[in-house]
Amino acid sequence: MAHQNKLMSMSEAVKEYVKDGSALYMGGFTQLQPYAAAHEIIRQKTEDLTLSTCVGLTLADQMIGAGVVKNLITAFVWNPVPLKAHCFSRSVIQGIPRTIGLEEYSVLALNLAFYAGAMGLPYVAAKTLLGTGFDSEKNPGGAKNRLRFEHSPFTGERVCLVPPIRHDLGIVQVQRCDAFGNAQAWGIMGETKYGLLSCDKIIICAEEIVETETIMRDPNRTLIPSFRVNAVVKEPWGAHPSSVAGFYDMDWRYYAYYGTKTSTEKDFEQYLDKWVLNVSGREQYLRLLGDRRVRSLIPEPFISEPVDYGRLTRHFPEDNDR
Amino acid sequence: MVITAARLIQNDAVLMVGTQWPIVAALLAKALHAPDSVICHEGGVVMGKLPERVPLFTVDPTLHSCSVLLGGSFDTLGAVLHAGRADMALLAAASIDRFGNINTTCFGDYGSPRVRLGGSGGGCDLGSLAEKTIIIMEHERRRFPEKVDFITTPGFLEGGGTREEAGLRPGTGPFAVVTTMGLFGFDEQGEMILLRFNPGFSIEDIRENVQWDLRVADDVSALESPTEEELEMLRKRIDPQGMYLRGGRMLDGRDLET
Repeated sequence: MAHQNKLMSMSEAVKEYVKDGSALYMGGFTQLQPYAAAHEIIRQKTEDLTLSTCVGLTLADQMIGAGVVKNLITAFVWNPVPLKAHCFSRSVIQGIPRTIGLEEYSVLALNLAFYAGAMGLPYVAAKTLLGTGFDSEKNPGGAKNRLRFEHSPFTGERVCLVPPIRHDLGIVQVQRCDAFGNAQAWGIMGETKYGLLSCDKIIICAEEIVETETIMRDPNRTLIPSFRVNAVVKEPWGAHPSSVAGFYDMDWRYYAYYGTKTSTEKDFEQYLDKWVLNVSGREQYLRLLGDRRVRSLIPEPFISEPVDYGRLTRHFPEDNDR
Repeated sequence: MVITAARLIQNDAVLMVGTQWPIVAALLAKALHAPDSVICHEGGVVMGKLPERVPLFTVDPTLHSCSVLLGGSFDTLGAVLHAGRADMALLAAASIDRFGNINTTCFGDYGSPRVRLGGSGGGCDLGSLAEKTIIIMEHERRRFPEKVDFITTPGFLEGGGTREEAGLRPGTGPFAVVTTMGLFGFDEQGEMILLRFNPGFSIEDIRENVQWDLRVADDVSALESPTEEELEMLRKRIDPQGMYLRGGRMLDGRDLET
């Protein structure tokens, strides 16, 4: 599977790999969030997902509002402006469009859960969440999650045990990927690496498709190697309104616009019609955004100096002396 | 409020900084009296120099071009915060109670709340693990209940050693609450106590805007006014567009310009 060409369209990738009722991880810590994929998932009327997203923001909010989510695993769902995440709020308070199962953690705990899932660890012990509403031993009426609270066999101190969380499928936007799935990303990554590694299957959405030689010239930058990846989708601007380091800014005004245009159920339905359901894909979405807006989000360059990994072809340096 | 909070930050401090007002306070401190302070954010940011644009969030892309280290959450929440190397955490709060417990999850019962908020984010981690947590929030009576409906971020829990009993490390916990009305600390029992007041308010004003019988320090005094230098730095360098100071980030409900 490492050397197979996995390029396909967004609609093909979603149709093939996003299954009703599955555990889906949506990656990206505010940057690199795969909104184009989320919109295609909504268009294909996916059902009953267990959606896992560390800082879900408006991506989680839209998916909840669109009715594709049955359960949510998260550390934070809010509109960062800050404004309310209206669909999330309506779901929890009024059960609109439906009541969802809610499993909540802190950012560090969710990172540890994904890490345990990625590594195949039985659990990880930590000193966070103790004594809070997430601590089911101290506060039984509080949040529901998979945490356990025990005493360390080494020191006797009270600890929070974080179990592994794994997923059927993970999706993320990256800056570049080759056709086989060797994906590279940079900027602020949050939990993304371990979130992806905890998934059985992975869809990579990339701003650019590059040659494998490019990947191999900077292997420290690789997020996921190709043997773990199932599909590669070339999707420029696939993370809008979230940012992609080196490609586009966070579209702050879009988050603010979303926050005011989704405050009622009817408003959200109109938003969804305009930006998701009546849009064939990301290209049409970008035409809706308009060329001026799109161009205004492009940052100035901030280029690194290339590094030299060193290439060694002689068996032993002494060969030169013979 | 932001200036009072910034003044609490010492040079060389390693800071875990949460979103909103804490960002402004940390930048102001670094710009003025704490140039060697190390600003870290939960997404995996170790800041190198002041950003060229005020970050509106702890994952603002302006941070991509002013950092010495960009990584994942384990680089900061793990290797700095959980490892016990964070001198201070700076946090916002929706509401805070008598023992410094913070709620950013819900009002009412968790199972069927009246109001649902964003959740912990990294807040719980920051408040659980930093040596000193500073909370920065606008002061409204309804945000100061005697007991929060949900403990998202632990303060001193029920006071009197209950924080340590729950397993949280000794030598960690809330240090100060900075509001638009004053500066609060915590006594040996973990109870909030008024230390300094904003000269625009009386002690009685402040006691009326807290839902319990607020303790007041014997030597309570007025806060010193902001200096010209502090105001200048805030308005001209840190937030010249007023994104925080004049609500520039908020919505006026207009349609998206496309």
